[in-house]
Amino acid sequence: MTQANPSSPAPSRSRAALRRTLILIAVAIVLVIFAYGWQVTEINLERPQEPVRQTNVTNALRELLSPNVLTQDYATLAVSIPFQIDCPEGFETPPVTPPADGTPYIAVEPACASSSETVTLTGYNFASNVLARVTWIDGDEQRRIRQVDGQDNFTIGLNGTFSVSIEVPRIRGSAGELHALEVQQAVPSGVPRFTDTTREVLDKMVETIFLALIATAISILPSAILSFFAAHNLMRAVRMSLGNLLVMFTLLPLGFLVGGVLLSEVGGFVLRLASGQGGGVETTGLSLLVLGAAVAARRMPTSTLSFEARLRSAAMTLIGAVIVVALIGLIGGLGLLAGRTFTEGIPGVLGNFVGSLGRLIELSLPFIGGAIGAFALTNVGTALTIDALKTISPAVSRVIGGALGGLGGAIVLGMSATVGMSAAWLGLLTPVVAAIMGGAILPLLFRRVVMHGRRSTQSDRLLMSALGWIGTIAVFAFTFVQLNVFRAMVEGTLPPNDVALALPGLNISTYVLTAMGIGLVLGAVGGAIAGTRAAFPVGSVLYSMTRTILNGLRAIEPLIMGLVFVIWVGIGPFAGVLALTLHSIASLGKLYSEQIENIDTGPIEALESTGANRLQTIMYAVVPQIIPPYIAFTMYRWDINVRMSTIIGFVGGGGVGFLLQQQINLLRYRDAGVAVLAIAIVVSILDYASAAIRERYV
Amino acid sequence: MLKIENLTKIYDNGFKALDNVSLEIPDGQFVAIIGLSGSGKSTLLRCINRLIDPTEGRIIWNGIDITAATDDELRLIRRRIGMIFQQFNLVKRASVLTNVMSGRLGYLNPVYALFNYFPSKERDRAMKALTRVGIPEKARNRASALSGGQQQRVGIARALMQEPEMMLADEPVASLDPATSHSVMKYLELLNKEDGLTVLCSLHFLSLARAYSDRVIALKDGRIEYDGPPSDIDDDRFRQIYGEEAVEVEIH
Ligand SMILES: Nc1ncnc2c1ncn2[C@@H]1O[C@H](COP(=O)(O)OP(=O)(O)OP(=O)(O)O)[C@@H](O)[C@H]1O
Ligand SMILES: [Mg+2]
Repeated sequence: MTQANPSSPAPSRSRAALRRTLILIAVAIVLVIFAYGWQVTEINLERPQEPVRQTNVTNALRELLSPNVLTQDYATLAVSIPFQIDCPEGFETPPVTPPADGTPYIAVEPACASSSETVTLTGYNFASNVLARVTWIDGDEQRRIRQVDGQDNFTIGLNGTFSVSIEVPRIRGSAGELHALEVQQAVPSGVPRFTDTTREVLDKMVETIFLALIATAISILPSAILSFFAAHNLMRAVRMSLGNLLVMFTLLPLGFLVGGVLLSEVGGFVLRLASGQGGGVETTGLSLLVLGAAVAARRMPTSTLSFEARLRSAAMTLIGAVIVVALIGLIGGLGLLAGRTFTEGIPGVLGNFVGSLGRLIELSLPFIGGAIGAFALTNVGTALTIDALKTISPAVSRVIGGALGGLGGAIVLGMSATVGMSAAWLGLLTPVVAAIMGGAILPLLFRRVVMHGRRSTQSDRLLMSALGWIGTIAVFAFTFVQLNVFRAMVEGTLPPNDVALALPGLNISTYVLTAMGIGLVLGAVGGAIAGTRAAFPVGSVLYSMTRTILNGLRAIEPLIMGLVFVIWVGIGPFAGVLALTLHSIASLGKLYSEQIENIDTGPIEALESTGANRLQTIMYAVVPQIIPPYIAFTMYRWDINVRMSTIIGFVGGGGVGFLLQQQINLLRYRDAGVAVLAIAIVVSILDYASAAIRERYV
Repeated sequence: MLKIENLTKIYDNGFKALDNVSLEIPDGQFVAIIGLSGSGKSTLLRCINRLIDPTEGRIIWNGIDITAATDDELRLIRRRIGMIFQQFNLVKRASVLTNVMSGRLGYLNPVYALFNYFPSKERDRAMKALTRVGIPEKARNRASALSGGQQQRVGIARALMQEPEMMLADEPVASLDPATSHSVMKYLELLNKEDGLTVLCSLHFLSLARAYSDRVIALKDGRIEYDGPPSDIDDDRFRQIYGEEAVEVEIH
């Protein structure tokens, strides 16, 4: 900001004028944008005025506001009076005496008439404001409805009396016969009860609420875990030497493969045992294993960092991995057992639930084994190489960095190319990842060769950022062209799935091989320049990846996710649960992570200074601070999920929405009104409850 | 013995907070670090346990190079160095006992943390530490329910759980009133005299430094301006450290 000079008022006056002009221009621009929006959204003042539309909307609204919630049984009350066709000589209308007990009675004036003549029918003591109809009973006991004012039914007045004009029917050969007039009234009897529509809506509403509850509950754990990776303040500081990272990275797929095969075998074995397919010997073995786990857990802390200690702790890690997988298998097996044992009543419901969880564990054992295997192997690899990597000379560090970097780069691009092969536009992933790697190389080279570790100046930083962009764009273009991504995107075709390189259990296509080649070169160059001792900002990379994924997922509306899940698991609440869960994970992950970013960092610093490790710091310095806001935001999300689950049925995702859509399509607005009313009630109750709970915690 | 050699810290934004600082502190000394706000006191203390990574220089403690330690080694070093803070840095929603016990985490199996489990022996140790700082009856209270002085004593108890050989105190009494300040300083003095802990304590008031320390190190713009016994700081020296217009205030 420049400051106005008080000694020369002229420039400040012209500045004020400029300001005014700018404001005017801004207002004009806003006006144009607004006017354009008016046109784009087809705002039309004439159409709502059309009489047909007005009638339609009035009717629809009236029906919506008369929801078909309650119904009642009716008893028919009939009162009749004789009637003479063609008045005989000297006929006099007999006087009507009101019954003493106050029951309904009617009178007709005159009590005789010829066809087509009009008589007046009056009635007293009827139920007020209730429909009634008049029936003509002729000499052969034939009954005909006589219309009143052109309608079959008429409404009895507020005091329970009526007076209507009836035309005497023309009936062949009825001259001189004695007929009768009967007034029937449907009188409500008994207590009002819910209509079938209401029952159906209530049923679906329960489904809706549980759909939202389950989706919210399932999403809590994944989003809580993701939120730590998406919290800038926790991740920013996480750095790792490139050497360790690359060792981890090359061991990761190996650990995943080995773990997926061997560890999942262990887990599967325990699972089969626990689910009741094993004998006494195995069960004893199992108990010993659990006992061993408990003992091992007590002996784990290390206090020295000699190589033997590392070796011992590495062995412990491997044993720990086996034990953890075995425990997971045990839990899964017990779940399956419970699922098979309990099938009736409430235990049956619980059994079904626990059984499904067991089945879920059984299905994901290869993945769990792989993940734990990867974790264990990378841990062991890091522990055993960390000292060696620290002591090597710079030249060796470059050679190793280049070799491991090449391997890591090939793995990364190989994986993204494999993903990219599955859909034409996913092919963009490989050039993007390659570009990120490429963007790091030139600035790194600059830092190493030109700057020689001196402090960066402003111009250095500018230059490095320019170099970064040049590298990014160049590598992107190169990869984009090499992999023919553009053609694939235009034509919607996938790269050919040929076998260019056959490894045991893994066939690699030309496309993936090309990507791996690019990754190899980029990784090798980058690794060689950086050397294994460079600090790599793992935390920031994980942070950006998590944030990108969360933001991307959040941008996809749950209704669209619902559409996809309906294709996968069929119409019904399960598809809705999956759609809402996925969206909730993305959205809660973001909300949670913002809570982490808002915490007081003092306790973190304090616990780090006591020698606590990262897990302990998070458990004791972060978790206590985030529990209240997490509860509040989970409530908030449940609230949103209930709203969403009321409409997820529109795409077949279960809940009350499906019913609502049907009723609207069939133009049954009174039934639709019931659903709308139910939604409004549930949503406002939840709105209130979640606000109350949030107020307590935030 | 703590040996600091040519320590320089340049922050990411290019600011040089420490400029070639070298020091030797024998075991058992009570060292006060003084200097104007922004002179680099906190930066120096945080470099010692590597809450901040120094840009250049070495810190050697009992023969171990702290600046070269890996993450694992660093944790083993840190658990022998206690630290207390101006803002106490307690977890306000947690109980006093949990806050104190969390000082022991470096010695415990990390798996315990997942289940919020502390062995009963650590509970006893925490109660002993609380008794030592005079507030055993507050163990069950929430940390936020304590007064500032009491919170700082919880901070000391937490550091005691580490069974430290050295104590770093970053303006431990700057948020406290004079009387409470003295009571907290007396606990530090006690640890120094009874347990033989080396104490490095940054202070705002020279009078406190005079009352409790064996040695004063004055920083100015990241450099050592004075290093010697507190009694040798006369008016001239004082003005050198704090600037021409400064006047010494007493704190009783
Ligand atoms: N994270 C940081 N990034 C950039 N500059 C920083 C950072 N932390 C501190 N500084 C700067 O470094 C200098 C020294 O800060 P330091 O906190 O060590 O001073 P201090 O002597 O403890 O001051 P005070 O008495 O106010 O606590 C200050 O000028 C400060 O602005
Ligand atoms: Mg400070």
